Order: sequence, then structure tokens, then C-alpha cells
Amino acid sequence: MAETIAPMVYLKGLVKMRSQCESVFELHVPHFAVSPGQMVAVIGESGCGKSTLLDMLALIMAPTRVDRFEIIFEKLDAPLDIADLWARVDETALSALRRDLFGYVLQTGGLLPFLSVRQNICLPARIKGGEFFMSRIDALAHRLGVSGCLERMPAALSIGQRQRVAILRALAHQPRLVLADEPTAAVDKARARVIMDDMHRLARDEAVAVVVVTHDLELVMDRADIAYTFDTHQVSEHITRSLCRPVIEGPP
Amino acid sequence: MTQPRPLRLIPSLAALHLRHEWILTLCLVISLAAVISPLLVLLGLKYGTIQTLRERLVEDPVFREIRPLQTREFKPEWFKEVSSWPGTGFLTPTILPLSSVISVVRDETGMAELFDLIPTAPGDPLLLENGGIVPEDGAAVLTAEAARSLGVNAGGEVVSRVTRSRGGRMENVEARLHVAAVLDARAGALARVYAPLPFVLDVEAYKEGYAAPARGWAGDTPEPYASFDGAVLLLSEPLPPISRSGLVINTGFGRIADLKPDKAKDLLGFSPPQNIVLYDLISPGASITASNLRAIDQKLRGHTRLLLPYVRDVVVRQGEDTLRLVGLSINEEQARLLGLPQTPWGGYSGTPPEGMLSVLWPSAHAPVEERTTLTSSGLTGLEFDLHTAGETGLEYPVVPMELLGVLRTATQRAVSFNREKGRFEMARGGYRGFRLYAQRIDDVPDLYHRLKGQGIEVIAEVEAIERIQVLDKGLTRLFWLIALLGLFGGTAVLIVSLYAAVERRRRDLGVLRLLGFARRHVFFFPIAQGLMITALGLIAGFGGYGALAAAINHAFASELAAGEVFCVLPWAYVPAFCLVTFVLAALASLVAAWQATCIDPAEVIREQ
Repeated sequence: MAETIAPMVYLKGLVKMRSQCESVFELHVPHFAVSPGQMVAVIGESGCGKSTLLDMLALIMAPTRVDRFEIIFEKLDAPLDIADLWARVDETALSALRRDLFGYVLQTGGLLPFLSVRQNICLPARIKGGEFFMSRIDALAHRLGVSGCLERMPAALSIGQRQRVAILRALAHQPRLVLADEPTAAVDKARARVIMDDMHRLARDEAVAVVVVTHDLELVMDRADIAYTFDTHQVSEHITRSLCRPVIEGPP
Repeated sequence: MTQPRPLRLIPSLAALHLRHEWILTLCLVISLAAVISPLLVLLGLKYGTIQTLRERLVEDPVFREIRPLQTREFKPEWFKEVSSWPGTGFLTPTILPLSSVISVVRDETGMAELFDLIPTAPGDPLLLENGGIVPEDGAAVLTAEAARSLGVNAGGEVVSRVTRSRGGRMENVEARLHVAAVLDARAGALARVYAPLPFVLDVEAYKEGYAAPARGWAGDTPEPYASFDGAVLLLSEPLPPISRSGLVINTGFGRIADLKPDKAKDLLGFSPPQNIVLYDLISPGASITASNLRAIDQKLRGHTRLLLPYVRDVVVRQGEDTLRLVGLSINEEQARLLGLPQTPWGGYSGTPPEGMLSVLWPSAHAPVEERTTLTSSGLTGLEFDLHTAGETGLEYPVVPMELLGVLRTATQRAVSFNREKGRFEMARGGYRGFRLYAQRIDDVPDLYHRLKGQGIEVIAEVEAIERIQVLDKGLTRLFWLIALLGLFGGTAVLIVSLYAAVERRRRDLGVLRLLGFARRHVFFFPIAQGLMITALGLIAGFGGYGALAAAINHAFASELAAGEVFCVLPWAYVPAFCLVTFVLAALASLVAAWQATCIDPAEVIREQ
């Protein structure tokens, strides 16, 4: 399936170096691709660089070096060269891409505390502009079981409810790619499974690609189309190198 | 699909954020109002109090007045000139202080009071700015004290009585005056009557014994007096040295000098007899009149003497030609002493003789006409007619000495010739003082120095004005200092609070960036908040000001005149104040705005 459809995000030869005090962390991503409708899992322990990879995919962190970094979708004739946008520091174009194509689910939801749940959900669609249907949001809310708390403030929700609202927000403006950063880290295993199922099902129904970052291999392996993981080793006293590679076994 | 306009969402998001943190917002609004309210009250106080004081002091016309210190003559041309000076607001001639006292009687009571009569004219600031109007002829404006002592109000009527003593008899005339207005107490504490200049001039003339025909006041018509430059004294024998040097003392003459016969001919126009002693009595720079001559004559009683006054610089023309005239008025006895025939108009008496406009022509040049028209260049050119009264054996035409004296007076005072009545009349030469007001307080020093430059001694409240200006400047500076302090405080509060808000909401701003806002969009988030807080702060500040101003005005109401308030803001200040505040708020939020753009979403979105 992944081979038959052209990828919508394509990364090749990416290197990101981050230095903190004297220690240097190097992330190498030789090859990474997300195709439309795919669920891609990025699995790794903390500190392996999975959040860094996600931030670069989310266009909020510039790669140090990259051979190819392209975004392709049907409205564009040619692939969009992200590496070039970063080189030109075209912040407006990058934020426009985030606005139009991406949805985000953060670890703790990332809801804005000063907006009501409904305002939070509608915000990406309002930023994107154009028409959006409240009925669709109500339907999605119903499916996620949060329709009762749309008028409440995020602070009044449980963590599980917040995560579901975050998923709803990530999907409300009909993005092409949802980036989820440890969406289940704050909930117990049983609830995590339900949330992951919800996201998987909705992404499939909405034909949206999903990149989910998690440290819980078990949680995603039976749902993901492709999984990536990291090999981390200490090169020297100060340099840590992490290599991102596909998980060989693949999904059953 | 419509164009995405993320910027439009920023204000509503900023407002929702402020509402969410309403306690912090309230604190911020209150702290801004706590700066704005006192500033507004201060501004109101400065404007209200200081402006009231300023108007009371600086705008009081008294402070714009420039008064003459000495009584001297000011010619009509001088008034015309000074009126045209920049900064001159109002100028009217005045009369001698002594001539200006009239008694005013109130009809009902018959009570009479003595008041100063002051001339006024349209535009008089003392009247107009003290609740009065400029009276027309037949009306007058009273000062508060005058109205009080008479017990009249505006709209009432009083009778003015002008008295004079003439020929040992007391005479008086009365004129009804409508009280057009009563001035505020500020206009002066003295009892005064302000009336139009023509009325005042008529009063002055009447007091001096003259008539005011237009008002039916009887009296003389002013006649010019004769004046001379000096006199030639003829004596049969020389004076002893002591008598000689004491002769001129207390006579008005300056000194006495020996006179050579040929010099005497120059002065008199004819040669005096050989066997006579000649002296020249002179008074440099001053005019000699009949009384001076009389004084000398008194001192020489017992001597065989003759005083022949002379004039210089009187230029008389017949047509285009200059005509030398000999002034001679001698009686029979004097004629004998001079060896000349007696003049038909008699000897010099000090008053104009019957045939003052007569002339004796030298037999060689006697004209055919009975009447000759001559001109004399006085202050205003004079044209007069002389009758031929006979012939003379002298070289030049002979006229009465008094005529030459009058012609000399005409070079110093305005004299006109009334052809109908065949006599010279004193024209109004000038005025004895003036009332001058500068347009603005700041014009006073210029006018003051300009008049001083003309040699006119004047007084003006130059120092007081400068003191008030200094006080005003000082208070304005004080206000700006305090305002500056307040502005610093208010701006600092905004800078810190907005900066802190950005720091506190780093994660939320990061999420906003993640959701598709660009740096330049989040830039406006703190600015929008700053402006909103400022708007609320201004509303609260104006509310606080309103309450405080009302309290202050109420508290000081007893100290103030009706219509005066202690604390008031002119409406024009309000938009300016708001604009300045908003500009400052926008500037203050720039730091926070810049800070907001520096947020890196990747660093903050995982913060808890």
C-alpha cells in the first residue's frame, strides 16, 4: 500500500544537530516517508530524538542538513521544497502550510486554556478560513464522546477528555496530516488504547495520514502501517548519535 | 474558499485571553486607572485653577494697561501713530486729572458725590472685560464703588454737574447720564465715571471757562495768547551792576545781556535811538508771555524804560515771498522815547488790542488793496487777513506786537484763524494724557520700552506680568514633570505586565504558532492586549477623574465665584490625551510583542 501511492511527506538524508552545554546530539534520518491515509508510528525511548523529528515534520524546527524534504499534495503541481523554505526562512509560507495541511495532538492536548472547548476546536478552521460545518464538528464530537463538554473550558475536562478534544481539534479543519506527540502519555493503558483506536479510526475515515510518536511500542504496532524506531549510541564522551530506521518486522 | 486572514482573529483571541485572566486584567486596568486618574485630575486642576487664576490676573485688563507718569501734551498725530503700533489694543486721550472731577447727583435722593470722569471709546477693554459696555453719548458706565455710593444700578439715571468759577462767580451746568452698565469690582476700587471722550472734552473745556455750544453750555471761545522769544529793554541810563544782575530773578527770564545797536536792529526790525542803553532779556528754550514782561516792568518802576518783546523764527509769507514784519505796540509816551509815531492800536497791554489785524505799510511798498492775505507756517498752516491802517516810515511793515506773539504761539500750539469772526482761535493742540491697553499681556513690555524710547515716562505692570509668566511657566513645567513621572510609571506597568503575560503564556503562544499563526501575527497579540487594557484603563481613569473632579469642585465651591471651577478639562484635551495614551500603550507593548515573536514553538509546546 505504501509503495503504490506517492508519499505526501518525503525526507531524505536529514541531519539535525542539537547542542546543549558541551554535549551534542545528532539525529540522522536517512529516509522517511508518509503516504496519504497511512498511519506512521515513531517509536522510541525518551531522548532518542522522536520529538525532534516530529517538530521538523511539523515545520517548527529547521533541519541542520537535509538532502530532500518535500511535501506533495494534489493541489500542487510540483513537490513543495521545504528545505528551500527553511533556507529562505519563509516563515509566512511555513505557517501557512501548518495552517492548511496539518493537525496537531500534543502530549497534554495543547488546548488553549482561555478558549472554550468549542472555540478551541473551531480555531484551526477559523485560522484556515473558508467554510466549515459545525454539524461535522458536532458529529465528530459525538463519535469521540465529548459532545457534552463543548461549551466548557479545557480546565474543566478530564485528561482523557482533553486528549479526545485535541484529536477533534486536529481533525476539525480537514487537514491532510495529523501529527500526534505522545497523545496517550498522560492516560492509563486502557484509556490510551481507546484514544489510539479513536484516532486510528477517524484518520482512516477522514483519509488523513497520521504520524504518531510514542514510547509504547505495543500500543501502536498492531495499528500502524509503518513504524520507525531509533538506534542510539554514544560516539564519544560528548556526542550522542541517533539513527532513525524503519522497524523491520512491520505490522502483522 | 475565502482567503485566510489569521490577523483578524488576533484581537478576539487577545480579548478572550484577557477575559480568561480577568483578575489580572482587572488589576492591570486599575493600576493604569490609578495613573490616568491623578494625571487627569492634575491636568484638570492645572487648567481649571491656573487658568482661572491666570484669567483673573493675567487677563485682567489692568495688567495690560500702560499709564503715563507725567502730564504732558500728546498731539493727535501721536495718538494716530501709537494706535498703529503692533500690540496696541486700545488707546484714547485723557484730560487733566483736575479737570476730570465732576459731581454726580442721583435723582431721587439729591445726594451728590464727587467722581473722577474718565474718557472711554469703543473697544475699551477695562469696560468690556469687566462686565460693562462702551457707553454712547448721554450715557456713562460706573465703577462698582461709584454705583454703590450713589445707590444706582445699570439702567438707572444720574445727573452730572460740572462747576467752574469764572470771574469770581460759581457757575454750573448739568447733564443727564443714563447708567449703561456697572463694572465688576475688579475694574478698580475708586469711584469713577466712564463717559465718551467728546463729553469728557466738553466738561474739560467748560471747566476752563469755555463754552460747549452743542450742549448749550455758555462760556468763552478760547483765544490764543501771545508769546515771545525775548525782549529788548531800553533805558535812559545804565543799571547799576547789582540791580542789573537781580533784574531777571523771578521774572521768568533766563538772563540779561548788553545789546549793541546793530544787534537790536536785527531783533526789532528798526534802529532804536542812539542815546539809549540797550539790554537783551532772554529766556533760552522757553516762551515769554505778558506776565513775564509785567514782572520786569514792576521791578523797573521809577526808571524811564521801554520793553519791546521780539520773536524769532516766525516766517510770514505774502504769496511766495517772505515778509519781514516789525511788531510794535507803543503808546504816546513810549513813542516819544523811541522817536517814532504812536501805533494806531495803542501800547502793549498783554491782551489782544482792538485793531490786532492791522498793518502799517512802508510808504514805498504800500499795496493798493485795503486787505492783504498773509500766511504763516505754524503747527498747522495759518492764513489770515490784515487791514491796511496807514503808512510807516520804517523799513518793514509794522503790525501789532500781539499779532507776532500769537503767530509765534501758533508755531507751538495749534491755532486757527476764524475768518468769519476775524480772529485767531486756539485749536485743540493735543491731550494731556492717554489710556493705553496692550492687546495681549505679552505685548506690554514691548510697548512699555517703545514709549520709554520716545522719552515718555510710563508705568506698566511689566514686573508683575513677568512674575505671573514665570509662575505659569513653573507650574506648567511642574505639571509636565509629574505627568512625565506618571507616564513613566504607567508605561512601565504596561511594559512589565504585558511582558509577563507573554512569558506566562509562552506555551499558548507557541500553540498558536503551531496552529498556523506566523510570527508577524502573534506580534500583534500583546499590542492588541495593551490597547484593550489601555482603553479599559482610560474608561476607568476618566470615571475616577469625573468622581474626583466633582468632589474637588464641590469642596472648593465656596471659594469660587459662580461659573468658576477648580478642576475642569477642556474637551479638546480628551482626544489628545487618549491618543497620547494609546500611542504610549502601543509603544509599551512593543517589547512584549517582540518577545512574542521570539517564541520558538518547538521549545515551548511541551512545557507543562
